[in-house]
Amino acid sequence: MAGKRIKKELIDFQIDPPAGCSAGPVGDDIFHWQAMIQGPPDSPYDGGAFKLSVHFPTDYPFKPPKIAFTTKIYHPNINSNGNICLDILRSQWSPALTVSKVLLSITSLLTDPNPDDPLVPEIARAYKTDRCLYNKSAHDWTLKYAS
Amino acid sequence: MAEGALNYDPSKNYDDQTCAQQRDIEKAIADEQPLVSDILSFDELKTEYQDDEIFKLKIDDLKGRYKHMRKTRGDGNCFFRAFGFAYLEQLLNNNTDFPRFKEIASKSKDELVALGFPQFTIEDFHETFMEVIEKVEKKCTNEEFYQLYTDQGISDYFVVYLRLIVSGHLQKEEDFFIHFVEGGRTVKEFCNQEVEPMHKESDHIHITALTAALGVNIRVEYMDRGDTPKCNQHDFPDGSRPSVYLLYRPSHYDILYP
Repeated sequence: MAGKRIKKELIDFQIDPPAGCSAGPVGDDIFHWQAMIQGPPDSPYDGGAFKLSVHFPTDYPFKPPKIAFTTKIYHPNINSNGNICLDILRSQWSPALTVSKVLLSITSLLTDPNPDDPLVPEIARAYKTDRCLYNKSAHDWTLKYAS
Repeated sequence: MAEGALNYDPSKNYDDQTCAQQRDIEKAIADEQPLVSDILSFDELKTEYQDDEIFKLKIDDLKGRYKHMRKTRGDGNCFFRAFGFAYLEQLLNNNTDFPRFKEIASKSKDELVALGFPQFTIEDFHETFMEVIEKVEKKCTNEEFYQLYTDQGISDYFVVYLRLIVSGHLQKEEDFFIHFVEGGRTVKEFCNQEVEPMHKESDHIHITALTAALGVNIRVEYMDRGDTPKCNQHDFPDGSRPSVYLLYRPSHYDILYP
């Protein structure tokens, strides 16, 4: 049933893509997509275009898709391997969610990081104690890696 | 640092390891337990409790009041799986409640969408949910129904939709259910954490919401370590005449046949 659902999701995504996001399969493999998120205007990631890999498990949608940044990004909830710390990609995944909803949540995470549940403690510390430094680093990385 | 102390290695992906372990456990359970078992006698249930006098007495109590039972897989979805099987099987054998139920089932999609659930996925699950219901309406054989309902994909789609119905009902009646949500969470947070994800176990609040949303009454026989020789019964809603009978053993629901 996974393949059928993913195909439906792809059609739905193409008809109504979430703001600032794009996604689609890599080659012929419907279970492997590439996605792109534009840095939100009200964030230090503004102007950047961030690529992500999306892998669907064979028992999708009962298990969440595996989504990771392939573009480097300076963010307290995203580590150097591109892994994302987001509840709906783990324990709070629901089969009623879609890649489209997840990409929107990731976009919100760029605007509003969650420093109390960090994946990169140093960046969380900068975010909490020295917001100017955090903004500058996030912006510099965006210019360097995502532009 | 003491030997054996926890060492956090930031380059390792602990989450992947946790997920892999979780999958191994799920696979082991799936290999051992069917989603819904064949009909079993209470004597078969007794073999699980050879040295347990209290449970043996309680099984004798059940034996006096029920004909037989079916076990469901212990995967956290057992309440929904057991309920769906028991109720549909009953409709298959006696369809007087069918028109009422089908109308509620058909309308539920628009209600969930109106409550803000994503239309695309709701439609996807609703479609399969209705397909199963329509098979029952067309009077498939009990064997065909069993095959359909124990197909993992179809069965899980059915369970997901029941979970969404419960979530929808809890959110619709938020003012009432907020009093039963623990941990200072909102009803929506509770639904996101404890109702909508697969494999999350069900409690009184889930059962109350499902019976209210579908108008199907449930009796649960609680078999626990309490030292009375009988199981405790609870009817949802209180004082109603049950149409689905479930057996609860700590953390697990199975199906009973009166």
